Amino acid sequence: MNRKHKSDLVILFATLGLMALGLIVIYAIGPMRANVLNSTYGTDYDSNYFFWGQLRAVALSTLAFFAAFKWIPYQHLKKIAKPLMIIALALSGLLWVMSLMGSSLVKCELGECRWFDIGGASFQPAEFLKLALVIYLADFLARKKEEGLVGQFREFWLPLLAVGGLSLLLVVVAQGDLGTGVAIITIILGMLLISGVPLRQYLLVLAIILVGAIGAVAFSGHRMERVDAWLTTLTGGESTDSTYHVDNAMLAIGVGGLTGVGIGNSVQATGYLPESINDSVFAIMGETFGFVGLFLVIAVFAALLLKMLKVAEYAPSDESRIFVVGVFSWTLAQVVVNIMAMTGLVPVTGITLPLLSYGGTSMVFIAFALGLVLQLSCYTSREVNVKNENISSRRRVGGPHHTSRRRSS
Amino acid sequence: MPRNNYQTTFTSDSASRRIKVLKIVILVALGIILLRLFCIQIIEHGAWVAKADEQHTLLETITAKRGEIYMLDHGEPVAVVLNQTTYQIVIDPTVTEKEDIEYVINTFAKDYAVADLDEVYNTEGLRYSIVAKNIPRATAEKIAEAGVPAIWLKKTNQRVYPEGQLASGLLGFVNDEGEGQYGTEGSLNKELAGEDGLIKATADVNKVALSIGNDNVKIPAMDGENIVLSVDRSLEQGVEELAQSAIDSTAATNASVLIMDPNTGKVITMANLPNYDPANYIEVTDASAFVNYTTEVPYEPASICKSFAFSAAINEGKMTADTTYFNQHYTIVDDWKIENAEQRDMLYGTISMKTALYWSLNTGSIQALRLLGGDPNQITQQGREKLYDYYYNKFRLGQITGIELVEAEGYIEDPNEGWGRDSTYANMTFGQNLGITMIQTATAFSAVVNGGYWRTPSIVAGTLQDGQVVPIESSENKIEDKILSDETSAMMRDMLIYNRGYRVTAGIDRPGYDVGGKSGTAQVIVNGAYDNSFSQLVGSYIGFVAPSGELPKYVIMVKMWGEGQGIGSGDAMDLFDKLSNYIIDYQKIKPGV
Repeated sequence: MNRKHKSDLVILFATLGLMALGLIVIYAIGPMRANVLNSTYGTDYDSNYFFWGQLRAVALSTLAFFAAFKWIPYQHLKKIAKPLMIIALALSGLLWVMSLMGSSLVKCELGECRWFDIGGASFQPAEFLKLALVIYLADFLARKKEEGLVGQFREFWLPLLAVGGLSLLLVVVAQGDLGTGVAIITIILGMLLISGVPLRQYLLVLAIILVGAIGAVAFSGHRMERVDAWLTTLTGGESTDSTYHVDNAMLAIGVGGLTGVGIGNSVQATGYLPESINDSVFAIMGETFGFVGLFLVIAVFAALLLKMLKVAEYAPSDESRIFVVGVFSWTLAQVVVNIMAMTGLVPVTGITLPLLSYGGTSMVFIAFALGLVLQLSCYTSREVNVKNENISSRRRVGGPHHTSRRRSS
Repeated sequence: MPRNNYQTTFTSDSASRRIKVLKIVILVALGIILLRLFCIQIIEHGAWVAKADEQHTLLETITAKRGEIYMLDHGEPVAVVLNQTTYQIVIDPTVTEKEDIEYVINTFAKDYAVADLDEVYNTEGLRYSIVAKNIPRATAEKIAEAGVPAIWLKKTNQRVYPEGQLASGLLGFVNDEGEGQYGTEGSLNKELAGEDGLIKATADVNKVALSIGNDNVKIPAMDGENIVLSVDRSLEQGVEELAQSAIDSTAATNASVLIMDPNTGKVITMANLPNYDPANYIEVTDASAFVNYTTEVPYEPASICKSFAFSAAINEGKMTADTTYFNQHYTIVDDWKIENAEQRDMLYGTISMKTALYWSLNTGSIQALRLLGGDPNQITQQGREKLYDYYYNKFRLGQITGIELVEAEGYIEDPNEGWGRDSTYANMTFGQNLGITMIQTATAFSAVVNGGYWRTPSIVAGTLQDGQVVPIESSENKIEDKILSDETSAMMRDMLIYNRGYRVTAGIDRPGYDVGGKSGTAQVIVNGAYDNSFSQLVGSYIGFVAPSGELPKYVIMVKMWGEGQGIGSGDAMDLFDKLSNYIIDYQKIKPGV
């Protein structure tokens, strides 16, 4: 293990900054959301209900972020990777069984049962599953690599297939959560890529997943409908009920123009755009802050993602590198799939925008994962642990900030 | 730390290459996204804004409050048509839960339900349905308090009629679309309706206006005017009762009565019986029940028109009341034998015009036409043209009078075109071969007796503003035209009073009052020709009431008829007799000296 140095400021500020931005946006549009729900469904949400909810989520996530950063050494966490994975799978399994039994502790929305509801506090096990999977796979893949078993069928592919398959079964089939399914697949693919799987095998896996995905879409009515709606939108066709969501997301973004309509002036948030505070928050931000605002948000995500790759590159061990790439893949999947859905580039799958969307569980777990990445950023090596590597090219990618920080440590 | 240097080096090298791949993945993905955003937000911005305006803009009319209608009661305005606010329940079947609306209807509004909910919910694509109507405010408030989601209460206006059926033909009604129909509601719809206001605003998905947006517009509604009719409510009521009993005691099924002040043109009674219930106009099966016969239906008032022919000849200096002619009970015009209805022997020979009018002899009025043309032996072109000039240009018969109601024009034949002009004009002297309305007749008759002034009749006293009746500023359209000399008018009054000499003798016309009048019994045209069997007749009577030696205070015109019934002027005169005395009492007209 390398000597500890200062943590990466980009990851720190990007994470905190995005959470603060999300809080501002929810503060502005939360009352509209409450109003829409109250007048349409006769609920009785206080106008600040969603702001307080988001504030609570941000507080918990900040706590999780710093806890992961300061108090929970990754080295300790990896030792309980297997039990964590088992607990995560068990929770999802339990949710499924309880939902089949019609338990009141399970919260369902629009026919999909994805939450435990214990005394008003809800918890989404799929979010925990993603974290556990990243921790578990990092440990598993690094161990296999060390043992030289990467790419072997019985020792490597079979257990991987079991864990991945079971996770997807519990999330996609049991909970109908395609968004998390896409995230899980991206996480696995990202981590596999970095774990040294032979390229031919990797490409084969990629092909199998692609075929499987097309098959799954083709055999599921509502997924086909979404793809159909997406194709309609992408090709500028007539809008239908199925294209309503993405039409209104693009409308919000389009109205935003260069600089946006300003905080509190979003009209699409007053009920036109579905999931305005959750999955569609990016579109509302587009309306509010315009192209300039979205450009900055994307720049912050880009900085965060690139920084994670930098940490991965300079990671003190294979296992931490694979872990960081896991968190990177997780974040990337959510950011890219969410934004592309909002801009009509891919079908709508129902995936949150990390740190910005309303929703406690997803924010807490990704913040925790980012906290661990931040922790690992303190242990990056002076030199890349690669011998025949051209150092100057590294420097060029790293930039002055990282270099200077290394010097100071 | 790695136990095998070679492998680690190999793997890590491959790892850093693969990290590069991931970097490219991010940059490509985010690059595509930024390009897409640039496209949507910068290039297509205008199109999206236009689309958003279409989706977000709420256009809602603010319904103006319809004005109320008042009559006068001894000069004080009293409401005869009022507004009542009621509510409708509106649902959107795609949003409103069926159990919710069923609960509301069953709990609060069972009596007001107007829709079959099963049908509403089975109608594909239905987004708007009125399921209950005419809900009173108190009930609507209870429904609102129940707080059932996705149920909307829509305010509507309903007309109420505190006087029931009174003057329904004059008042008219308001249909389901809020448009005035027939009567005052129809003719003064624009004034009563006012002007709806407009809200143009950015609205949320539930169509609630938001404070967001700069081009929000609010044009307030201009409420309709409260119209005060010059009609006296109690007088109208008394007249309608008398007219109804006249219908009950004769073969007539209909009666119309018009009472106006000949010195101002103000109409103070306008009755069309039978009335209908304007609150339930929907139950009226025959639209003729809605017709205001005093202004909308031209007819032949028959011998009443002798007053106009006589006035013309006298005013032209061609004759006086004492001018004589030889009456042989008939006369020939265009080889057409025109007979008098009254054939008694004592009238054969040389008689005065006064006598001719008293007995309503057609030969007398035809003689007046001949005299008007300058030749006592034949009708001349000059005579026809003079009569036309008086009828059409001076008395304005066959022209719209300008009263604030829907009017028919009627017709007066041209003096020089077509064949049989002489016989047509001979007929016109005793009120046939023309079509004129009661209001035209009464207005012209007013000029005959009031000193010769033709004045535009009116039935609107003004608008009610803060409890005060404010006259409407439309006097520029009011005509006051001196068409007859004072002497002509005085001579006509004398003859018309003389006509009723036997009513004075009978004790009907009281001492101290000058009551004059002229009857008219019109044949009805059946299949394009006068029905000479006299089986169907329309009885009319017109007259005035004055304190002795003074100008007339009121002109009263009565018309009575019934499908297939021969209603003579006698029936109409009987009703006039009652009305003339009634108005003397009601208006407390002091007798003259």
